[in-house]
Amino acid sequence: MTDRILTVRMEAHPTDSHTMARYEATGGYAALRKALAMKPEDIVAEVKASNLRGRGGAGFPTGVKWGFLAPTRPRYLVINADESEPGTFKDRQLLERDPHQLLEGIIISSFAIDAHHAFVFVRGEYPRSARRLQQAVEEARAAGYLGRGILGTGFDLDVTVHLGAGAYICGEETAALNSLEGRRGEPRIKPPFPAVAGLYAKPTIVNNVETIANIPWIVMNGGAAYNAIGPEGSRGTRLLSLSGHVANPGNYEIVMGMSWRDLIFGIGGGIPNGKALKCWIPGGASAPWFTPDLLDTPVTLDDIAKNGSMAGSGAVVVMDETTNVVAAAWSIVRFFSHESCGQCTPCREGTTWLQRILERILAGQGRPSDVDLLLDVCDNISPGLRWPPAQTTICPLGPSAVSPITSIMKHFRDEVVAMIPGAVTAGV
Amino acid sequence: MSMLPGFLVTLRQIFRRKVTTQYPEQKRSKPQRFHGRHVLNRYPDGMEKCIGCELCAGVCPARCIYVRGKENPPDDPVSPGERYGFVYEINLLRCIFCGLCEEACPTEAITMTQLFEMSVTNRDDAIYTRRELLMNPDGTVPHPQPDSILVDKGELRLADGWMRATSPSGRAAYEGIIAWTPTAGVGTRPAEKGQSAESHQSSAISQKDSEREAGSGKREADHG
Amino acid sequence: MSDPIKLTVDGREVTAPGGQLLIKAAEEHGTYIPRFCWHPRMKPVGMCRMCLVEVEGPRGKVLVTSCTTPVAEGMVVHTKSDVVKKAQEGVLEFLLVNHPLDCPVCDKGGECPLQDQTLSHGPGESRFVEEKRHFEKPIAISELVMLDRERCILCARCTRFSDEISGDPLIEFIDRGNHTQINTFPDEPFASYFSGNTVQICPVGALTATPYRFRARPWDLEAVESTCPQCSVGCRVSVQASQNQVLRLIGVDVDATNQGWLCDKGRFAFEHLRAPARLSTPLVRGADGELHEAGWGEALDLIASRIGAVIAERGPAAVAGLGGARSTNEEAYAFGKLLRGVLGTGNLDASLGDDPGAALLAGVPHRATIDDLERAKTILVWGPDLKEELPVLHLRVRRAATALGADVVVVHPRATGLDRDAAHVVRYRPGEGAATLQRLAAGEGDLAAVRAALDTGPVVAIVGRTGLAESADLADAVAAFALTLADAKVMPVARRGNVLGAIDMGVHPHLLPGRVAASDAAARAALAAAWGCAVAVPGRDTSGILSGMADGSIAAVLLLGCDPVADHPDRKAAAAAFDKAPFLVSLDLFLNESNRTADVVLPVDTFTEVEGTMTNLEGRVQKSNRIVPGVGASRPVVEILEDLAARLGGSIGAGAAAIAKEIALVAPAYAAVSWEALDWGRGRDGIVVAEGPFTHTPERRATDPSVGALTLHLGRVLYDGGTMITAGPSLARLAPEPAAHLHPDDASRLGFAAGDRVTVTGNAGSAAMAVAIDPTLARGTVYLPFNLGASIGNGLEVKVEK
Repeated sequence: MTDRILTVRMEAHPTDSHTMARYEATGGYAALRKALAMKPEDIVAEVKASNLRGRGGAGFPTGVKWGFLAPTRPRYLVINADESEPGTFKDRQLLERDPHQLLEGIIISSFAIDAHHAFVFVRGEYPRSARRLQQAVEEARAAGYLGRGILGTGFDLDVTVHLGAGAYICGEETAALNSLEGRRGEPRIKPPFPAVAGLYAKPTIVNNVETIANIPWIVMNGGAAYNAIGPEGSRGTRLLSLSGHVANPGNYEIVMGMSWRDLIFGIGGGIPNGKALKCWIPGGASAPWFTPDLLDTPVTLDDIAKNGSMAGSGAVVVMDETTNVVAAAWSIVRFFSHESCGQCTPCREGTTWLQRILERILAGQGRPSDVDLLLDVCDNISPGLRWPPAQTTICPLGPSAVSPITSIMKHFRDEVVAMIPGAVTAGV
Repeated sequence: MSMLPGFLVTLRQIFRRKVTTQYPEQKRSKPQRFHGRHVLNRYPDGMEKCIGCELCAGVCPARCIYVRGKENPPDDPVSPGERYGFVYEINLLRCIFCGLCEEACPTEAITMTQLFEMSVTNRDDAIYTRRELLMNPDGTVPHPQPDSILVDKGELRLADGWMRATSPSGRAAYEGIIAWTPTAGVGTRPAEKGQSAESHQSSAISQKDSEREAGSGKREADHG
Repeated sequence: MSDPIKLTVDGREVTAPGGQLLIKAAEEHGTYIPRFCWHPRMKPVGMCRMCLVEVEGPRGKVLVTSCTTPVAEGMVVHTKSDVVKKAQEGVLEFLLVNHPLDCPVCDKGGECPLQDQTLSHGPGESRFVEEKRHFEKPIAISELVMLDRERCILCARCTRFSDEISGDPLIEFIDRGNHTQINTFPDEPFASYFSGNTVQICPVGALTATPYRFRARPWDLEAVESTCPQCSVGCRVSVQASQNQVLRLIGVDVDATNQGWLCDKGRFAFEHLRAPARLSTPLVRGADGELHEAGWGEALDLIASRIGAVIAERGPAAVAGLGGARSTNEEAYAFGKLLRGVLGTGNLDASLGDDPGAALLAGVPHRATIDDLERAKTILVWGPDLKEELPVLHLRVRRAATALGADVVVVHPRATGLDRDAAHVVRYRPGEGAATLQRLAAGEGDLAAVRAALDTGPVVAIVGRTGLAESADLADAVAAFALTLADAKVMPVARRGNVLGAIDMGVHPHLLPGRVAASDAAARAALAAAWGCAVAVPGRDTSGILSGMADGSIAAVLLLGCDPVADHPDRKAAAAAFDKAPFLVSLDLFLNESNRTADVVLPVDTFTEVEGTMTNLEGRVQKSNRIVPGVGASRPVVEILEDLAARLGGSIGAGAAAIAKEIALVAPAYAAVSWEALDWGRGRDGIVVAEGPFTHTPERRATDPSVGALTLHLGRVLYDGGTMITAGPSLARLAPEPAAHLHPDDASRLGFAAGDRVTVTGNAGSAAMAVAIDPTLARGTVYLPFNLGASIGNGLEVKVEK
């Protein structure tokens, strides 16, 4: 049946899909009217029935998350639009091209969880997204979809669009909450989880943009209809940001379950210039890499996890045979080192140390002991180097920087060793 | 009768080589690691090596060293870094010449020379202060006694016994590895001969050198 | 904390109170988990990751930080497993990646948690070979604190202290990741009264205190625990000295008083002990009118003969003694015994007219302890700005307000350090205190909510002099009101270190040692029997003595460590008295405004130089100990007084230890106090002496005088013109410029702007100073800091003119 949910409108109306007029003309805010007539707990039940899983990276079932909310009031809804994972650019499109869709999702979700103030934490580098969303908020307020007594019901809601200050770490939900409160964007120690003590120490739900953008469709068509799309465990559609060495990079809304081969060589159009595929990152910079032996495995959350990585934020980065994997890993590690908040010792010092060892190797000044050193420094950040990772840090940023190194050591150890003068390839 | 074996012993000894020397006219050469009086060294640029850390005083088993540090004047520093040895005194009557002060010193500021002729006529004079201990910028060392047949001031320049006796990072073998700083007047002293125990010295040397070039001093490696 | 629960630590079953953090529970059972960021008096942050341990969970063993994990029933913890060991070694190696190894230069070297834990829990060698991160070496972030960002391991102890404990968040993290550093805000120094505590809790040498910088190494310090004499809180300190010189004071963590913290005055004022201006020989005024160095025998003979002559000519009532509020109990007792017993005069007083009155201080019923603040629901502070006068008590009240949920009510003429954390703030104009109290008691108008808060007990009322221009009667009335509240206790506060102790020792015209009324003939007789000499009847108090000096009825005065000309609020009266120049003997550390005209000045041993006890504002008796000798020919007060007594044909006891035993025998309230019981092991928390036997019932007798358009608020500041501040180089430069603070409305009404030079005229003269605008002042009030250069007296009426 349906193979697209989120991008239909923006594709059909490329010039004005972000306006209130177009949104209402294409069935917008009908789901809100329907939702406001429902009981909040019924909406939560529909979301539970839809098996919608969070699109921010962890893939936690949204309805279940809503169920964890502590009973105290007030409660807050925070939309995490701090889309900073390298290779991910799906939320930006949703924010800029169809902000009302997200807004309608926010209003319905807030109604469902009895929140009267929602915050959208927009990445600092996305000023256009924030402007579009702010404009949508103002249009919605003027139209009576926001404010006091929405659509004549007793439900009040205000939405605050907050532009971040340019820190990747604020993609971590508790760091985003700290930043919203005016503190340093540093992750908090959990527990307590935000559902118990989040923003201003009140029960808070933090959801990704794409997750909430799905809510109007679920309310309109029912959870069961959503649950009928895609394979079990990866219901609904999903926006994947395809980039790197592919002929047709871009955002694609797909129903999961296709093979990686279909994604990279079909939708992505294959590797340009007749080069061969070397490897790809299946779910953003934090995810361990896949190699061509997994080309025929299905693209689902569970299959990716089974193969030792994660679907993450939906960023697929393809690398062809010319890629210097050490340079690629260095570029990712450098990113994490730059974005480390500085709270935890292993992440603050470890990521920078890893970066400097890789720099040394890239400069031809590696030492034979560096191979073991890299892995042992990684082990001190993420003990056991297993998947899913253990960590000596508060948040998963530290272990994220470990993924590219364990990936190149697992798949391309010979290439790394070959760059180190005096290192012996075999039997190390 | 019974005296005869005694005379025989004497007779035999007369024709043996003499082991005593006519000190002070004749002086025996001392072992390379002889522990004589101390000297406080300077770098070739004239800066004092002592940073007033008091580790020598802390380790001294005879408690004969008294040190007080002070902040280096920023526009005219006495030593590199923030702190210098403002007061430095050794009570040589108490000193047991064990050399632990040399070993504790993180900057090779205090070393022991080969000069042991330092008799005094007044107990106070046996307390050497900075005036007696600190070498001049040219590397010469002030010594309270005048030059004489007893006092050979050349021995004051044969310092650094510990440096050559103790290897970098505590390794037994260090021939050719120099991990100590140069000193005013003498420059960088060579490594002591005969400290090579293992065959893979050359690779260890090159690694050590590259570590130093990479900006990591020996102290980082020494710590942990 | 809830019921005890059982858990297993390294295979050993232990019990811990529910809610306790794992790191603490393990420590209490003998398992030390290494840590840097965790501090028992602050909230955990789990940043350094050093305290990682393995906890068995449903999904296998998980590494958690033991400083953020509360114990749970049945928890199985491994603190020494291979995984834990590797993680801890890893964290230490990471910490040392950018930590400069300038340990030989660093002041922390030798007592550094990073050094110690590297040795005990770290890897043998670092594998990091690159260049370390560099910052400019130490930068002065305040007059007292230097920051070396290279050494900092970013544990957030200092930032948390400034934010959570002291409430001056002037030091913060800036930048992020590997560039994170601690720093102050631009153009805002770390000017906190509590900055020294951050130096004390810094686990590396990143924060160092300028007075101690490079002065010694930990291994050449001797230490003794003592009691800080700077104010009446009585903080526990470890006094550390080397080569007969006190080099630093460290706060000792005891629950009862300071919980480990000190104010910077208490921490750094020790510099006055070796100040060049300190007296080191007796001084005697010669025929040329100048003070000349003299021997002890000569000086004491002179005193004995002159005082003997005064007594012979005019009787003992012509002799008087002032001071003792900065001395130990033993010294104060000896002073009292000398005056009342040997000299036979009842003219003696330790209060200098700047406290709420001895009767309230010593006799208030239902006296609160500092620890009562931990349980209080409501705290009324109607007294001095605690931050300026009793800084560590301020921290304890702040803790009650911010961490324990107590409602604080502050009544003061201007903003105090507590206002930001207070539930209710009441402003009033000096001179309208009685009316304000009446309105508060009745819950009138806007004070209804305040009154309602005060009805929620337990209540602790901290009562003292808000300002020195106001009548002391107001404090009495506030205490009387507080005692009418349900479940209320009163904490009368005065500033000087041992003022309560001196009163308790009988340095008061109407009180004998141990809070016994001196008017009680039977009590006097009992004391006379113990002393073996007659005990004088009650005589004059400080203002009586001053007026007696002025009118000539008092001809000889002994000063024991006091400077009435500078410290008495009625400066005009004090100066007039000292101008008359009776025979004046001063036992002091420095020459000051009062003893400049003295006939004999005797140098005394003081804090860190004598053994004795002190009584803090709660009535808690604590031990003070000796670690260094005095300077030059200075001697302990008790020995000087004994020699003097002997010359006058009496005796007050041989040495402080003997006097301490005598106090326990003759002073009923101190019967349980002995030096042995105050030993620093068992007796760490001191002994709180029981209330009574003298009980003062505070009366409501305060009335407001009629005052003009502007009234004076004469408040104290922490760094003032006191000799202990001005004699030490570090604190002397911190004293603020005196200024006349005006509410903006008053300033504009009078046509003044900030910085204008004005003449302020009070009852004792005029002074020129700048105008400062202070919107937190009650309208119609001029605020002047007391004892800071300019003095205009203590009358409420004040004029401000161009």
